[in-house]
Amino acid sequence: MLAKITPSKAIHWLGRQLLNREDPGAFFDPLTTAINPMWAQQYTPARVERITEETADTKTFVLKPAHRWGGFKAGQHLNVGIDINGVRRTRTFSLSSSPALWRNQGLITLTIKRLPGGLVTNWLHDELKTGDVIGLSEAFGDFLIPEEKRSVLFIAGGSGITPILSHLETMALEDYPGAVTLLYYVRTQSDVIGEERLIALRNRYPSFALNIITTHEGSEPRYLTGQDLDLIPGLADREIFLCGPKGLMELATDQLSQRGVSNDRQHSTFFAPPAPAQLASTDIGGEVTFSKSNLSVDSKGDANLLEIAEAAGLTPRHGCRMGICHQCTCTKTSGTVVNRLTGKTSGSGAESVQLCISVPQGPVALEA
Amino acid sequence: MNTLSDQQLDELQKDLDAIRDEVLADLGERDANHIRSMVRLHRKLEVGGRLLMPFGFIPPVFLAATASLGLAKILENMEIGHNVMHGQYDWMNDPSLNSQTYEWDTACSSESWRRTHNFEHHTYTNVIGKDRDYGYAVLRLSNDEPWKPRHTFQILNYAALSILFQWGVALHELEAEKLSHGKSHLKEKRPFLRLAAKKAGRQAFKDYVFFPALTLPVAPIVLAGNAGANLIRNLWSSTVIFCGHFTQDAETFTEEEAEGESKGHWYLRQLTGSSNFTGGKWLHIMSGHLSFQIEHHVFPDLPAHRYPEISEKVQTVCRKHGIHYNTGSFGKQYSTVLKRILRYSLPERITRRPAVA
Repeated sequence: MLAKITPSKAIHWLGRQLLNREDPGAFFDPLTTAINPMWAQQYTPARVERITEETADTKTFVLKPAHRWGGFKAGQHLNVGIDINGVRRTRTFSLSSSPALWRNQGLITLTIKRLPGGLVTNWLHDELKTGDVIGLSEAFGDFLIPEEKRSVLFIAGGSGITPILSHLETMALEDYPGAVTLLYYVRTQSDVIGEERLIALRNRYPSFALNIITTHEGSEPRYLTGQDLDLIPGLADREIFLCGPKGLMELATDQLSQRGVSNDRQHSTFFAPPAPAQLASTDIGGEVTFSKSNLSVDSKGDANLLEIAEAAGLTPRHGCRMGICHQCTCTKTSGTVVNRLTGKTSGSGAESVQLCISVPQGPVALEA
Repeated sequence: MNTLSDQQLDELQKDLDAIRDEVLADLGERDANHIRSMVRLHRKLEVGGRLLMPFGFIPPVFLAATASLGLAKILENMEIGHNVMHGQYDWMNDPSLNSQTYEWDTACSSESWRRTHNFEHHTYTNVIGKDRDYGYAVLRLSNDEPWKPRHTFQILNYAALSILFQWGVALHELEAEKLSHGKSHLKEKRPFLRLAAKKAGRQAFKDYVFFPALTLPVAPIVLAGNAGANLIRNLWSSTVIFCGHFTQDAETFTEEEAEGESKGHWYLRQLTGSSNFTGGKWLHIMSGHLSFQIEHHVFPDLPAHRYPEISEKVQTVCRKHGIHYNTGSFGKQYSTVLKRILRYSLPERITRRPAVA
């Protein structure tokens, strides 16, 4: 093992010396990707093998990542990177397939719903074609099947089903010993994502109980109730997995707590859509987190990130303080900022910002 | 220096901001394609040059390999590295084109460059005593600097600086002139020296140790070719840069003039302190579009290939405010640079011309 690492470390060192970059492999990308986009080294390239329609607004993308991709555990997510009009956009999506599909056939699936007004999800739906290549990160996340083999209750809403599809297929394959129940809330029957897979699972996996509840087919909305939970046998001993829109998650957490399910038995994950762009200066300010300094401060009014950092006792690198020299550019990992020069609102994902002209709009996390 | 009222300066700022906003609103795939095609061309030139170099015992191949590697270094330093480090492509969110992490193919570290060039030079452009790029503390280029006997033969210093340009730039932040005057201590410069040694060592290792050693039987040829490529780049980049601020009509400023100035006044200083030269598309690309030095200084973080497109608008703004737009052919601009170096070799009392009636 050591012998395998040492020469590659030496080559990497040499590459850094010769090519002036921390990722020397990516130096040749502009040449190699012109021949075959799957040779990219800057990210893990993945080819779109198939695209299937789940519902009117949801598609499943079957991808074949490059061999070096590190695989994943059921319930994890990854970042997808695509260039839209010259700008690299990264968004996080759950893997909806089981790790077995990756191990056996080298394939993974992402099941993605269109967000109204969403830049990336709409682009993926409208522009991405079979044979195209997109960039992937390694998988991450801890929304994982429990190590102790207890019974499990999944509560999903809408597209929140995606990581749970991965869980269920994995549990079916390894014949998970406990009882497994899924409460799946959808607006109407035609909004069920992965219907065929769910029904196939129910047919071949005896300890799996499926309950699909439509919320908007009657005259009154029919949301999660305490009764839905009371029908689950042995609720108190189950591990609970929640994934769905904020309203459902809050309702479920509330009802579960009332029934004495402790917080450490509840696992949840969800991705909020980005806040709509607002140019008004009334809602600026917010909590700013500096990850490298392990520091969080509150800001009010139109203080820019550089001023906020300095007020908090940090000394970020900076120069002109007027948006010219880019000395203070750093990576925003999440949150929205308003550019003081242009009045423009940023995206919510990871991107470079100039501290001296960026004003937070709500909570912002910085790699600084 | 032109004097404009505060109101005129505000107006100037608005006019220039409007040009900037229009470009910013239009940034997109076209800009991404431009810089990526430049990067692709750089890779071809560099890989081609390195592969051909060992066959340099055939004279035409030696010339082709040296030219290819020299052009690669010019393209990478001027159109890619310099511009990327200005943050011109940060909006693309591509980690390979990020201003804060990009490291270029020259002896000066990117970190030191961003401090001395992006901040000092671009903020205090042509302010004598503040902008150390003005004459690089080696040349006297204005009567604002007192004449000393050592300036008499400064044309030789200029030649040496051009030949060794990358090393001069690498040591720029050392502020050797302040050290010798006792205004700063070597001890304070230790972090800089460590950084400089690491980067310069890396560059020297690559061009003068590794690649020659790799092709041992023809090592002297590879060594000579690599040195030639660096020399081509040094001469070209120093010439382009000298044409940007040291031409006949490029103005200089005092610290008082720049003290507490408005954005409009900063714009005015950039317009009057910089100079362009004309030419074809590839001359502009090989200059990193510093042939549009005026546009670059007014908008240092707009993608440089946009400068030719907005030049007409900048000229219109200049005419409106009665500001001289300093441009001319490459030959003409460069000859005024040489004249300036020669003229200020001599003390003011000799070069002062009688006022024309």
